[in-house]
Amino acid sequence: MHATFETMGTVVSLEWSGDEQALDAVRGIFEDADHRFSLYRPDSELRQVADGSLELLDASSELREVYATALGWRGETGGAFTPHRPDGAVDLNGIVKAWAMAEAGRALGDGDWCLNVGGDVLVSGQAASGAPWVVGIVDPADRTTLLTAVPLVGGRRAAATSGSAERGDHIWTRGREGAEFVQVTVVADDIVKADVFATATVSGGTITLDDVTGRFNIDVLTVDGEGSLRVTPRMRALIAHSVEQAAVAR
Amino acid sequence: MRRRAAVASILASAGVILAGVQVGAAVTAARTPTATGTGSGSSNGGSTSGTGTSSGTSSGSTGSTGSTGAAKDGTFNGTTVQTPFGPMQVAAVISGGKLTDVKVLQRTNQGGRSIQISNQADPMLRNEVLQAQSANVSTIGGATYTSEGYLQSLQAALDQAGFAG
Repeated sequence: MHATFETMGTVVSLEWSGDEQALDAVRGIFEDADHRFSLYRPDSELRQVADGSLELLDASSELREVYATALGWRGETGGAFTPHRPDGAVDLNGIVKAWAMAEAGRALGDGDWCLNVGGDVLVSGQAASGAPWVVGIVDPADRTTLLTAVPLVGGRRAAATSGSAERGDHIWTRGREGAEFVQVTVVADDIVKADVFATATVSGGTITLDDVTGRFNIDVLTVDGEGSLRVTPRMRALIAHSVEQAAVAR
Repeated sequence: MRRRAAVASILASAGVILAGVQVGAAVTAARTPTATGTGSGSSNGGSTSGTGTSSGTSSGSTGSTGSTGAAKDGTFNGTTVQTPFGPMQVAAVISGGKLTDVKVLQRTNQGGRSIQISNQADPMLRNEVLQAQSANVSTIGGATYTSEGYLQSLQAALDQAGFAG
């Protein structure tokens, strides 16, 4: 089955082998997250926290859990990822989508499914063809074309991409001269981890890239302002595989 | 045949990755299918050995492993090449006839100590990734789009195709 719906200012595309109930569960998870965490909804819980009308300690356990998770990742990335805006307000936009995706993944269970939320991807099992799920990565210089394709194999179920071009306001780069990377894709076993490291690498540039690839079991593809690519060794092998598959298919 | 070609390509490309830092006849091990595979119990014996090991870079991508029977499940190690971080090797894991993993193997140096393989990101040329554009993809990953941006996105086109199908 295949369905799309709008939430959190973007679009969810779900392909799954289950029933309508599973879709309803996924939809409900994203709607709840949007109501609780959107800074654009005047009635959201996070907006009340940002306004100061609700103390963080009085917030729901869900909000505090997400905030605590985000603070943990801030530590892991040396501050390149942070749940605060430059003015100090709590902004969980950088993690809420991935967090909701992980929740949706737990609801969908162990079957065959592919969840795409605004260009971030979480999968389980395999595609209908029996082959691994393959994520096409958009070329930031021309969004109507694919830069490459990456199969999700070996327990790496998540692919998150962050960019400094589109919706650039949600990443605060640390350098004054703007981002070194216009697009960063991270493949990992966990969507929150992938999303955090993609965001952090756009924010922190080469220093963050070298740091997180050295310490974590992740695969990374970066695109800089001139269109040049950098890849980790395993990402290179995965891309080589999809290039070969494309050549064979011709 | 296609599968073998794909496997061969991965392994050959693993050689290409590191060819830039490989000097002279530094290949230290032949392609050696191992028995560490996937539980199906069938590894490929020695049937793929000897492919491309002399150059480590140029052969293998056209199915030159295909002179023996059908490719089987197992873990297939690529050629070991020398890098600034020590000898390095990539393995393709095939299970149920499908690629299920690509592993960057750790090697030990001559002193027997384990060498941590660097996971550092290095440059990749555009022409090494171009052919993937026509790959049959399941979904589209890209920097976050808005609901409006979605309408012009490749994902939207793919979703339309999904409904049509």
